[in-house]
Amino acid sequence: MTDLPIVGFVALSAALLAIGVFGILTRRNFILLLIAIEISMNAAILNFVYFGAYLGGTPGLTGQSIAVVLVGFAATEVAVGLGIVLALNRVKGTINVEKATELRF
Amino acid sequence: MDVASFVLPFLPEVVLLAATLLIFLLDVLHVRRTEIVGALAVAGAAVALLLVVADLRFAPLASLATLPAGRIDAVGSPTALFAFTSLGLVFQGVFLIATLLVSLASVSRPSDERGAPIFFGLLLLATLGMLLVTVAADLIFLLLAVELTSISTYLLVAYTRRDPRSLEAAMKFYIIGALSTTLSFFGASLLYGAYGTTNLYAIRLAAGPVGFPVLVLLGYGFLIAGLAFKATLVPFHAWAVDVYDGAPTDVTAFLAGGSKKVGLFAFFLVFLAPILFVRTVGGGSPFTGAAVGLGPVFQLTLGVLAVLTMTVGNVLALLQKEMKRMLAYSSISQAGYMLIGITVGTAPAIAGATLQIFAHVFMKGAAFLVVGGVAALGIGPLVDDYRGLGTRRPLLSVAFALMLLSLAGVPLTIGFVSKFVLFSAAVQAQGFFVWLAVAGLLNSALSVFYYARVLKVMFFDPAPAAPADRGAVVGASGPSILPAGGLGYGRAVAIGLSAALIVLVGLYPQPVLGAIQLAAQHFVATGA
Repeated sequence: MTDLPIVGFVALSAALLAIGVFGILTRRNFILLLIAIEISMNAAILNFVYFGAYLGGTPGLTGQSIAVVLVGFAATEVAVGLGIVLALNRVKGTINVEKATELRF
Repeated sequence: MDVASFVLPFLPEVVLLAATLLIFLLDVLHVRRTEIVGALAVAGAAVALLLVVADLRFAPLASLATLPAGRIDAVGSPTALFAFTSLGLVFQGVFLIATLLVSLASVSRPSDERGAPIFFGLLLLATLGMLLVTVAADLIFLLLAVELTSISTYLLVAYTRRDPRSLEAAMKFYIIGALSTTLSFFGASLLYGAYGTTNLYAIRLAAGPVGFPVLVLLGYGFLIAGLAFKATLVPFHAWAVDVYDGAPTDVTAFLAGGSKKVGLFAFFLVFLAPILFVRTVGGGSPFTGAAVGLGPVFQLTLGVLAVLTMTVGNVLALLQKEMKRMLAYSSISQAGYMLIGITVGTAPAIAGATLQIFAHVFMKGAAFLVVGGVAALGIGPLVDDYRGLGTRRPLLSVAFALMLLSLAGVPLTIGFVSKFVLFSAAVQAQGFFVWLAVAGLLNSALSVFYYARVLKVMFFDPAPAAPADRGAVVGASGPSILPAGGLGYGRAVAIGLSAALIVLVGLYPQPVLGAIQLAAQHFVATGA
């Protein structure tokens, strides 16, 4: 156990998550949406890093290694998202998510 | 540890992975004929299914009589990534059956110029993720396995990549999926901070959160939200109908019959154990038994979600005019029934929910396969377009009618057996759970209206003057395989098998129900 001010760090990642989710809900440009997704994913990754440092020892290492795995995972997810953007742009000529709506609720 | 002892428990997964890699290798070698690649996918899924059934038959059920007293360690260990449970094996079987049906139906699809290996490879990759979910004992491993399925299915939905509707569905699916993933991982990170571990068993065993109780509540809250998106629970369901509607229909069958159950099984793993603990060990103030004290909170939350999901799904299904959208809403409401089993958390209730999930593959998954086949016959997407189908395609209509009757829970079908087991278990559990059963019964009655409307349209309304049936038949079912009356043999076999199983299991449920009940008892007894 170290004396990291853990509450402050968690508040930071909560803020990152809020920014990311706000971006996901409001952005209309698919690329900016992907960036918002990355920001919110990074909130979770940062949490693992803080808590790993806070817990220390073997439990702490778990958190650090999960963070590395999740960085890789986030990259995979965005790669798939970019693939969908490219296909969408080719078919519709736009990456605005609001202009690509035919299915109705 | 030698290699064999590590690989052997994963034999179905290894077979599936080998088939996937072989399919992608064939793609590189320009072997892209739908029949070859599809046959490989069918064979891979079939072999994996046989291995799972053989395992289920011999290994875990045999040990049921001799369960050791140290209950949790019997199945999981606080450091393991994997835990093999018989309920997990049952779910592996369910997932593989869904994959088998969808790949069978897709073997006779029209050959896209180069799409077949991608389609079948992604299908098997998604299934691999589903199989890994069932053996997960670690929260992060569980979520990553769920994501393997999700990412594969985003691409499957976008598979017809020149169709704007398919792409739009993929876009919505991706955005909502990514959001829910983020929420799940954020929740998991908070739980890790509270308990210092991500192992599900260790979290259950922990005497209490390390530092911050509020982290536990927030963590589980985020997890419920994230997983509820995957399982299409109301209020996290809005994406599902658009995605099911816009996706290629065979992919919709896979989404409804297979991949959404992944979210439900994740609920089993994450939330059922605390609920079980409350019943076996007795409650306690929150946080005294780690996640255990939260059992009643989960039960209330999941119960509310279950009633909401059933009701909203059914009411919106009543209002739909399009067949695919109607079935999609009905699929949402079915998720509500399944959630009842997790909420009640007794062995019969878990068995009922599992049987419902098993049945759903044959009812809803196969119903989407029928809709895909009917579309290939050149019949429109509206319910009214099915007028007179009963006289034009009697066998197909009867099979479809069986699926709808089973979805409505009419006796002598598998859907009746599963609902009977599920609701009677909820009634037996007394108290608040009786109301869940009442809500379920009322909803079943409500759902009869929209299923009956389809039956009426198919069998009692006159056919439109010029049957649109003739022209589209040959072109739509692929040049190289002889069409079985326009459907394609693979699809006909998949639909026929499903319809036969609906009746067979409905008439004689004992073999399937018995195995599921044993697995559920095992799951409850080990708290895993």
